[in-house]
Amino acid sequence: MLRMTNISKRYGATEVLREVALEVRSGEVMALMGENGAGKSTLVKILAGIEPADAGTIEIAGEPVTIRSPRHSQAAGVAYVAQELSIVESLSVAENVFLGDTDAGLFRSPRSLSTKARPFLLKVGLEQVDPLELAENLSVAERQLVEIARLLSRKARIAILDEPTAALSDAEILRVKGAVRTLADNGCAVIYVTHRMAEVFELSTRVTVLRNGRSFPSIETASLTVDTLIEHMLGRKLEQMFPARATRMGESVVELDQCIGHGLLAPISLSVRRGEILALAGQVGSGANAVLRMLAGVLPVASGTMKLRGAAFAPHSIADSIAAKVAYCSDDRKRDGIFAVRSVPENLSAPALDRVSRLQMISPVMESRHTRGIAELFGIDLAYLTRLAGNLSGGNQQKVALGKWLGIEPDVLLVEEPTRGVDVGARAEIYRHLRSLAERGLTVIFASSDTQEVLGLADQIATFYHGRMVRVVSAESSTPESIVRDVIHPTLAA
Amino acid sequence: MKVSSRSADLLGRLGLMLIVYLVFALHLPSYYSPAGVAALLDSAVLSGLVALGVALTMIAGEMDLSVGSLAALAGILAVKLFPIGVFPSIIVVVLVCAAIGALQGWLIHRIGINSMIFTVGTLIAFRGIALLVSGEKTQLVPLEDIAATDILIGKFGIFSVLSLALFAAAALIFAFTRWTLWGREIFAIGGGRSESRAAGVPIRRPIMIAFALSAALAGLAGALLSLKAGSASPLSYDSLLLEAVAACLIGGISLKGGKGSIVGVLIGLFCIRFLVTGIAALGAPFWAQSLATGLLLIIVIVAEAIFAAAAGRFRLAMRRPAPIIKVPA
Amino acid sequence: MSIMTDVSPSAARRRSVPRFVWVIAAIVALYLVAGVITPSFATFDNMLVIVRAASITGIVAIGMSYVTISGNLFALSAAALGAFLAVIFALAVGHLGFAAGLAATLLVAILAGMAQGLSISVVGNPIITTLAFSTVFRGLAALFSGNSIVRIDSDIALALGTGRPLGVPTQSWAFIALALVSWALIRRARLGRLLVLSGANPQTAIASGLNVRLATVVAFVALSVGVAIMAVFTVSQFSQAKADLFAGYDFDYIAAVLVGGIALRGGQGSPLQAALGAILIALLQNFMLLNGFTAGLRMTVVGGLVLLATGAFHLLQRRLR
Repeated sequence: MLRMTNISKRYGATEVLREVALEVRSGEVMALMGENGAGKSTLVKILAGIEPADAGTIEIAGEPVTIRSPRHSQAAGVAYVAQELSIVESLSVAENVFLGDTDAGLFRSPRSLSTKARPFLLKVGLEQVDPLELAENLSVAERQLVEIARLLSRKARIAILDEPTAALSDAEILRVKGAVRTLADNGCAVIYVTHRMAEVFELSTRVTVLRNGRSFPSIETASLTVDTLIEHMLGRKLEQMFPARATRMGESVVELDQCIGHGLLAPISLSVRRGEILALAGQVGSGANAVLRMLAGVLPVASGTMKLRGAAFAPHSIADSIAAKVAYCSDDRKRDGIFAVRSVPENLSAPALDRVSRLQMISPVMESRHTRGIAELFGIDLAYLTRLAGNLSGGNQQKVALGKWLGIEPDVLLVEEPTRGVDVGARAEIYRHLRSLAERGLTVIFASSDTQEVLGLADQIATFYHGRMVRVVSAESSTPESIVRDVIHPTLAA
Repeated sequence: MKVSSRSADLLGRLGLMLIVYLVFALHLPSYYSPAGVAALLDSAVLSGLVALGVALTMIAGEMDLSVGSLAALAGILAVKLFPIGVFPSIIVVVLVCAAIGALQGWLIHRIGINSMIFTVGTLIAFRGIALLVSGEKTQLVPLEDIAATDILIGKFGIFSVLSLALFAAAALIFAFTRWTLWGREIFAIGGGRSESRAAGVPIRRPIMIAFALSAALAGLAGALLSLKAGSASPLSYDSLLLEAVAACLIGGISLKGGKGSIVGVLIGLFCIRFLVTGIAALGAPFWAQSLATGLLLIIVIVAEAIFAAAAGRFRLAMRRPAPIIKVPA
Repeated sequence: MSIMTDVSPSAARRRSVPRFVWVIAAIVALYLVAGVITPSFATFDNMLVIVRAASITGIVAIGMSYVTISGNLFALSAAALGAFLAVIFALAVGHLGFAAGLAATLLVAILAGMAQGLSISVVGNPIITTLAFSTVFRGLAALFSGNSIVRIDSDIALALGTGRPLGVPTQSWAFIALALVSWALIRRARLGRLLVLSGANPQTAIASGLNVRLATVVAFVALSVGVAIMAVFTVSQFSQAKADLFAGYDFDYIAAVLVGGIALRGGQGSPLQAALGAILIALLQNFMLLNGFTAGLRMTVVGGLVLLATGAFHLLQRRLR
């Protein structure tokens, strides 16, 4: 039904996909697997018309097709459930089911739409939801199910589901699985992107693995075990990019006691020492980021207590946590990590304007000293200091986004996905700098879905699955396999 | 559930309107005499028609600021076209304006520019064109033909031809936004631009339709009022925009797009009309009327923003985590 | 750095021509063309007229550039606020004397700026909010003046309004001083940096612990102070104020900022660009007036220029991104 060949895509200097091939037959469920950053989402976005490919061909039912927009893709019979939701909150559930569907006719009444939507909602187990209800009143899980209902309502030849279960509970996942089976039984070619092993083995007929932007020939699921599949995903990474682990650690700096916040289903208790690097390992929706956001003052703590340097710590805003020498770097660098249209020195001094100004005036001498200090600590090439931050490569942007926090001399650095969109060379450098900062007494807590990074950089690893902390282990006693199991399939890990 | 909370929101705004009405009705007999009510309805036609159009662009997550100048231009054109007949002239003007609006929408989508910035430019450009076309002189319907425009001052009880036109336009726009795919698309792209795009909604169509309708309604308002008066000045309607925007915002059209209803616009419209007419009837000078409109608008948008922020914080705090289940082990 | 606005990697390498060079080129070209076409253009008296007009527009345009740089697009309330402040100044000078009048005007201006800035930081839509404020200011101007002309009789004011130290009008001295001070503030002051960073990316600014709300308030206070200076000079020059002063001038201020090439997305550009833009607009307006262009034509030309400048700079920026 679908044949994608030689698909290539790069974002700036980073090559995301390199001559990737994917082939799916009617009536089968093809699982698309790979570590974060392997290129799965990019590949399906190309097929869905959301991202253009740089090169490659797409054939559907033997016909070559050009897909340049979501509408082209839909016209070719592709339906897509995105990882980021595409539910319009201010519309009703029924309207969201038929959003973008022009076959439903020009005239539509809320009633008729709702009658038409009901069978599809039933199929995904949303029979208790009123189709006239506004989507903003639905939980994240229910919205995800509405998207799947939308997919069912389209007469699609090819269905793409990009991590449809990341935010769902077990009971809801059962419904998604049922819907996917129905799709395949009706002759649809299903591409199923997931991180959850159990779903792969239950649903898929074949698996295509992506690794570092390259694809490998598909494998029959029946011929795989959990272990062999994990091996395929990890491959053999030869680069020695990680620095040595901590030699000495101080007293406990950050403590969480039975903390719960939005995104967590069970209370978390953790303790992190001075000079320690703690990894929070987990996939999207696992709750790992929630822990960082509570500490940063972005997410309110619903219950439980946090302590910083032995004293109670309850930040209400980022400014609070900065004042307490806790720095936070989110995973969306473009959105809130850098000032793309300003120069690198201006970026680096932004959180520490006090330290570079005298009598309310910025001192060029102090700013330049400040900038050079950070540049040295974080390995930013001095030649870049005259550039705008937006003109740097992803790796250097990340160095700027992280490095700017050194200016406030933080005690704790909270980082989400420290090397997302960063090339291999810059990665190794960032790891080295983070480690050397930890050696000087900085406590680093980072959330990551990259197993190698978690294992290589951290001293301790807390694994997260589905809004719960699975356990805390020392990095030394862990293997890639044990971590991957914990974060994608904890049932077998016990 | 939220549907009912939206009705509650509308009811609250209706309440505000009734309070304003009652406050003035206690002092002014003209607020309940048939002639007075008819005059109130007539006074709402101009800003009402324009507000309906502005509401559509706001719901689409955009904003058309050029309506006042366009209405003035439409008035000039309608009077100039008067020799071809009252209704043909109105129809031609509305069509021309719709085409101008569609072009604006197309350009805004094509360039990808903030529509408020773009229409500030056209706001002054249209005014300039109105001055150019009119030779900076008030255009008059020839005195000997003025009888032909009498059809626009016909009355049916408390309704005039003009106020009926307002309600007819409101009903049509209401039906359009509620029961047609194209109308719902306007709500969709305003509520979530990227979500709609991902779901396959063609973004250009609703933008063009919203701007075309906004311009057409502004044109209709300018043409009707100018022909009724028998004259059109190129400098008229410069306070129209504020009143139209105020009607939308007081009526609950969200500044962020995607939310609001045509019924709300009418409520907001009469809220302002009751206030402004009342102040005028009590003898306040003209500038007091716009002062009152501006103050009311500031109070409403600031109060609403503060309320929304508080409600958001409340919702986040109330968001209970799901019941604690043991990890399957 | 404050003037370099391009964001492409190639531009960073090749050092493309900064926008202000284009504006200066346009000013020189317009001056030469106008001088050749219209003999009365290049006379001394007319130069004085142009310089005064450019200075008055420029003072407000510089204030407006704070708003644009801080990421709040622009204000539609500057002209109305000018009328209100003019009335306040005229009344205060009449009752309290010149110095107290000046102080009262500045105080009211700062309060008006804070009210607008705070409202906008809550509502988040500067254009609609300032549109509402403009009617309020206009109404207040009519209220305080009783909607009639308020005359003043102050020698200090007259000297301030019509004096020409070293042959240059006082307005122009103020314009030049304000341009230089603003340039230094945006470039070197901590507060200026706060404005620039908040405009460049408000989310990153908040995530860096900066007070974006303060930046908005400061920007609108700066604009209001600029407007107050204009109002004081205008009242002083003509010894009178009334509620419909400056009507229709808002677009000249906005046009100056846009034609000067300050990016509307915020976080880029310098007050000097607004100053240059104001000079260009004043030259253009004067040239059109001398050639008997009608009000409609002048308005259409300025409107077209605004559309062209926004569209072109917008497309340029998008392509370079």
